[in-house]
Amino acid sequence: VMAGAVRRLLRRGLGVAAGPPSTRQLREAEEAAPVFQYAGKAAKRKDRVFVWGFSYSGALGIPTFVRPDAGWKKPRRIQPTPYRLETEEKISSAACGYGFTLLASNTRDVTKVWGMGLNKDSQLGFQRSRRDQTKGYEYVLEPSPIPLPLEKPQQTRVLQVSCGRAHSLVLTDREGVFTMGNNSYGQCGRKVVEDEIYSESHLIHQLKEFDSRVVQVVCGQDHSLFRTKKGTVYACGWGADGQTGLGHYNITSVPTKLHGDIAGVNIIQVSSYGDCCLAVSDEGDVFGWGNSEYLQLASVTETTQVNVPRHLPFKIGKVKEAACGGTGNAVLTEEGNVFVWGYGILGKGPNLVETAVPEMIPPSLFGWSDFSPDTRVAHVRCGLSQFAALTNKGELFVWGKNLRGCLGTGRMEDQYFPWRVTVPGEVVDVACGVDHMVSMVRSFT
Amino acid sequence: LNAAPGRPPRKQVRFLPAPAPGGGGAVELVAARVPVLADHPLVRGPRFKKLKIGAGHRLDVKASGVFVLGIGHGNKLLTDLYNCHLTKVYTVGGLFGKATDDFSDTGNLVEKTTFDHITREKLERILAVIQGTNQKALLMYSNIDMKTQEAYELAVKGLIRPMGKSPPIITAVRCLQFELPEFQLEIHCLHETQQYLRKMVHEIGLELKSSAVCTQVRRTRDGVFTVDDALPRTQWNLRSIQEAIRNCQLKVETELEKTLG
Repeated sequence: VMAGAVRRLLRRGLGVAAGPPSTRQLREAEEAAPVFQYAGKAAKRKDRVFVWGFSYSGALGIPTFVRPDAGWKKPRRIQPTPYRLETEEKISSAACGYGFTLLASNTRDVTKVWGMGLNKDSQLGFQRSRRDQTKGYEYVLEPSPIPLPLEKPQQTRVLQVSCGRAHSLVLTDREGVFTMGNNSYGQCGRKVVEDEIYSESHLIHQLKEFDSRVVQVVCGQDHSLFRTKKGTVYACGWGADGQTGLGHYNITSVPTKLHGDIAGVNIIQVSSYGDCCLAVSDEGDVFGWGNSEYLQLASVTETTQVNVPRHLPFKIGKVKEAACGGTGNAVLTEEGNVFVWGYGILGKGPNLVETAVPEMIPPSLFGWSDFSPDTRVAHVRCGLSQFAALTNKGELFVWGKNLRGCLGTGRMEDQYFPWRVTVPGEVVDVACGVDHMVSMVRSFT
Repeated sequence: LNAAPGRPPRKQVRFLPAPAPGGGGAVELVAARVPVLADHPLVRGPRFKKLKIGAGHRLDVKASGVFVLGIGHGNKLLTDLYNCHLTKVYTVGGLFGKATDDFSDTGNLVEKTTFDHITREKLERILAVIQGTNQKALLMYSNIDMKTQEAYELAVKGLIRPMGKSPPIITAVRCLQFELPEFQLEIHCLHETQQYLRKMVHEIGLELKSSAVCTQVRRTRDGVFTVDDALPRTQWNLRSIQEAIRNCQLKVETELEKTLG
């Protein structure tokens, strides 16, 4: 009788039978489910900065690496893989010096340049200490604004920054070049003052007298190079290896124009990091001067110092970009091939230690394959004994001596051929230093 | 197989008694070739009672495509092919907007998301990064010392491959079709399972700030065997199988020689 009652209820539709959900019920449940939106149609890609390498000097800009916030945490001396650095503005240009870093944004706000790391020679300007208002910081642990003496701070934009061993240069679009830091060899472009104390100095020098607007500034170890819009190159600083290219081996304290083989040639790019310099002309020719102890200029001369720019007759095609390191050099041709020469870990395995003639690195090491034949290298950069290459697909390849984890591979061994660095984003630009690197990255979505 | 004409029965020489050419009851021994009774099919029975069939790399119930089988002596070649560690090619179809618990479209729904912000460019960027990280894994699991010259030379030629156990590695990915909400990828991989490929589709959805499920997994190549060599359901008969074995023999031999030396 009970069963009959239940069946009558079911037939009248007052009771609902339980059981596994039918396909129709599943489909209806699915359609009724809420839809979540994580990114809108106009979602923009974010710009981020990643840093890695030796962090104990504060050059990475993350204070908890040097002074941990909890007592039981140990300070992190080395950051072996890319670590995100939070910045207030979008960073358009970065440069790594010998233990310090400069970040610049091309905004019109008052604060345009931030610096972190070593500040013993005021290469980051004067950073007023919060504990004692009369003294300055010797080590800057997080990106701190650098006060530039601009005439019109809300109209001038900073185009580029560059760092050397103990000095730095800031290029603006309408107020010339600002230099700060050590000036014992005149690398800041002002007269050398005997026994000048560089630490906690407020002095930032401004350079405006060039034949046309300066479009690129490059710092070598203790010298500075300026490239103007007309294609001329000026230099000042230490010259004992001939790296100023002015025909003598003395120091120069005022930026002076270079002649030699580049007189009259329209130079489109200059590069230097140690004591050797390279310049690329608009026709794809390479010129070099400076230290040649490591066979960097041995293709034209046997001498170990070249103090006048000389044309390097390489038959490798039209050169688009050059990068000069401490002991090795690299150039990028129009077809996207990378050529290396010099001394040290050049990127062609452990057997190739030195060569005077450029050797090509096979493109298959940069991700070129039959599967993706349009992958090619877009930029090359040099640190003191490392190389970095950026491909057009946004991948970063590094090789060279892995000094204190600066390659960012996660391992501490030297890398003898190009190795991918895993960065969560598309790498737009990279700056290499002695023992750390900074990269500007765009997120994927 | 048993219906095919078998080997002719062995013949032996026996001396059989036969009546002498002269009359009388004398019996002479005459040499004659006579089939051995032990070889007679009725005595011996059917020739093939069991067949040893071995399978190559596993294929899911929900997946389809090339599935390599070895018969009899071919099973030994199967182990050799496994040790070659050749790449397999899959065509994977995906659908944006849904996330399920087993990453395929027949599972229980977990979440629904929008996907109108996804473009082919973004997908290709993600695929490039996947390829990059897997290339690194390829070099790391191959257990070659990175500091040697031979490691550099193998890396230039692209021949570095893990020759032992390793987690799934993807050597190449490419987007074949892209029409929101569906997309199709071609994946070349090593040591993988089909569920890992479905999980990868789900992770691509997550990276693009949406969600994705896998609708189709089809193996188009397993080492040297491609879809052209494979026999469809209609051709599962003795003649086609024998022909297929004959066609593949040369390919398998050359590949084994090249890889294992």
